[in-house]
Amino acid sequence: MARVRVGPLERAERRLGYALLAPALLLLATVVLYPIATLLWTSTQQLHLAQPWLEGFVGWENYARAMDDPRFWSSLGTTLIYVAVTVPGAILCGLGLALLANLPFRVKWPVRLGLLLPWALPLVFAGLIFRWFFEYEQGLVNAGLGLLGIEKQRWLSTPDLAFVATCAAIVWKSSSFVALVLLAGLQAIPASLYEAAAVDGASAWQRFRHVTLPMLRPAIVVALIFRTITAIQTFDIPYAMTGGGPGHSTETLAMYVHRTTIDVLDFGYGSALAALMFLLSLALTSLYIRQTRRDEGGG
Amino acid sequence: MRTSMRIGRRAALAGMAGAALAPAAQAQAPVTLRIFTGGQQRPDVMRRILDVFQERNPGIRAEVEVGGATSDQQQQYLNTVLASRDSALDVMLIDVIRPAQWAAARWAEPLDAYLGAERDAVMARYLPAYREANIVGGRVMALPYFADAQFLYFRRDLLAKHQVAPPKTWDELSAGAQKILAAEAATSPSLRGFATAGAPIEGTVCTFLVPLWGMGGALTDAQGKLALDQAQAQRALGLWADLRAKNVTPANLAEIATDRIRVDMQAGNLIFAMQWGYAWNRFQNDADSQVKDRIGVVPLPSFAGSAPATCVGGWQLAVSAFSRNKEAAVRLVRFLSSPEVSKMQAIAASHLPVFPEVYEDAAVLAANPWFRDARAVVLGARARPVTPRYAEVSEAIRTSMNGFLAGTRTADQALAEMTQRLTPVLR
Repeated sequence: MARVRVGPLERAERRLGYALLAPALLLLATVVLYPIATLLWTSTQQLHLAQPWLEGFVGWENYARAMDDPRFWSSLGTTLIYVAVTVPGAILCGLGLALLANLPFRVKWPVRLGLLLPWALPLVFAGLIFRWFFEYEQGLVNAGLGLLGIEKQRWLSTPDLAFVATCAAIVWKSSSFVALVLLAGLQAIPASLYEAAAVDGASAWQRFRHVTLPMLRPAIVVALIFRTITAIQTFDIPYAMTGGGPGHSTETLAMYVHRTTIDVLDFGYGSALAALMFLLSLALTSLYIRQTRRDEGGG
Repeated sequence: MRTSMRIGRRAALAGMAGAALAPAAQAQAPVTLRIFTGGQQRPDVMRRILDVFQERNPGIRAEVEVGGATSDQQQQYLNTVLASRDSALDVMLIDVIRPAQWAAARWAEPLDAYLGAERDAVMARYLPAYREANIVGGRVMALPYFADAQFLYFRRDLLAKHQVAPPKTWDELSAGAQKILAAEAATSPSLRGFATAGAPIEGTVCTFLVPLWGMGGALTDAQGKLALDQAQAQRALGLWADLRAKNVTPANLAEIATDRIRVDMQAGNLIFAMQWGYAWNRFQNDADSQVKDRIGVVPLPSFAGSAPATCVGGWQLAVSAFSRNKEAAVRLVRFLSSPEVSKMQAIAASHLPVFPEVYEDAAVLAANPWFRDARAVVLGARARPVTPRYAEVSEAIRTSMNGFLAGTRTADQALAEMTQRLTPVLR
């Protein structure tokens, strides 16, 4: 490749460019790179506040401990199941909500509010609200089952039911964000495409399948990436609803990290677990990104 | 993670505000102390006590910060504040199980130097369990605020109506509860027999230990090493399995936290409960209480032929090692840990006194007639293991117990899991 000649003016401009970038880079370094570096460094330490006399460098020991820790594997498994259930769940519900919100309503604000409200609600509030829905004695869900003549269920202390209850809360909470992203995508699809399809005699399903879905694909991928990353970090809702119980059957990796660092004060091991969670997040996200790159490459 | 960052930021702001005030404080402006307490430990009563302190100490103001519904949630918050060496809190109310961990982490200011020559005389006045709990490695890490133990609360009116005597054994409790439930089922369908903590929280550790100790068992030996006899522990868990099989405990026992028991009993939905001292005052004085003057309190039942057991509870006042006003903070702690305040709390909140003589005070007994027998219970109460790694001990026990009470683990599985996790910690 031939070197491109750069004139003095252009060089000055480049310098100015770097200078203008510097504050942003510096900020990123302090709030992103520095904490990550600290985390990785801590993960190679024995740092347990209840045993300060044992502090010191231990290399890979914390990671080796995680590999032998059945609780790490079970919380990882729980996290992956949450990803597998709540990501498609939220995309499907979100798509439905977005299609609904895209209908030509005369009064738009109740629809918009309905979409924004679950998204604006803090996660832990959503968890507390759903905990009361699924409460054994006074919960709405058991009251509803009672009307149907079905026996009360222990939603929050039966492993499978606790999982269903927390997933329902997560899907409710996160599908509105997905719907917002998809609604923006829907509104960018030109009406002329639908008109053309209608002229060609396409049915409603065919219009959805061959116009809406392909045009919406980039928005769906964006929603998938965001939803997957937050699903890997699932913490607040199970924390508020079940505390990880019964036993630790609804405990996610993020909850195990929190328990190890904040409850037990084992910062070294907790950091190693957090680094492993970061790796998982990176791996799943890179899959999506590779997918989008291929899309762009294919035009 | 996100939550802790948010707290950290708020605490950092509070710290900056504190730094800005510091020079002013030296110029005779009032010192402001911040004391942390939990919502269950009656912050309203503490506020009234602090008002008395402020009147007597015009140079010192005291603010109350309330957080965390359960002991472990409070500790989670304090962990984030103290691990970041934040000076925003000066005094903290901590559970009786914490001083060893706080000493290891160097979060509590040792009080020996402040107590000076009075040290031994001051400490000698407390009930022995609280003197011992607050001295770690020969140093005074905190001073006791109030004592606690678990008692059996029961519905006097229901027991009288169905001619059931207050139970002395667990078998009597089970039989009495079944009799009353059967008779009341038609008129009060929401009535339940007996509740204790079963959610994955600190209180559930006592749900494990009380029947174990009641059978003459122990969790640790004299050296603090794990000494759990599996066969005995299995029989102890059999108590809860049996009460569940007979529908004496609520089906959702594994979801029930300490204060939920108080709420259910207060609404008239429980016949018996294993509960701490604070609940009495709420039953008697809360506006929404359906059970005023209908509650009795006795020592916990025992197994036929052995002595009853109960957990030592209670709350201690620690001065933060990062406080900027340690002198004033110690002054406040010494006031809060005085016989005078012990009496005030006993009357206003049915908090059990940490001084033996306060149990005999006429005004205290008028507010809490059952305190007459409570001192013997507190004196006989047993302590949970004392170790800097208590958080791990508690976590292992409450998680396995929660699985067992939910019915997802058999007694065997729960005990095997517990033992596997406790062995490396309690050695």
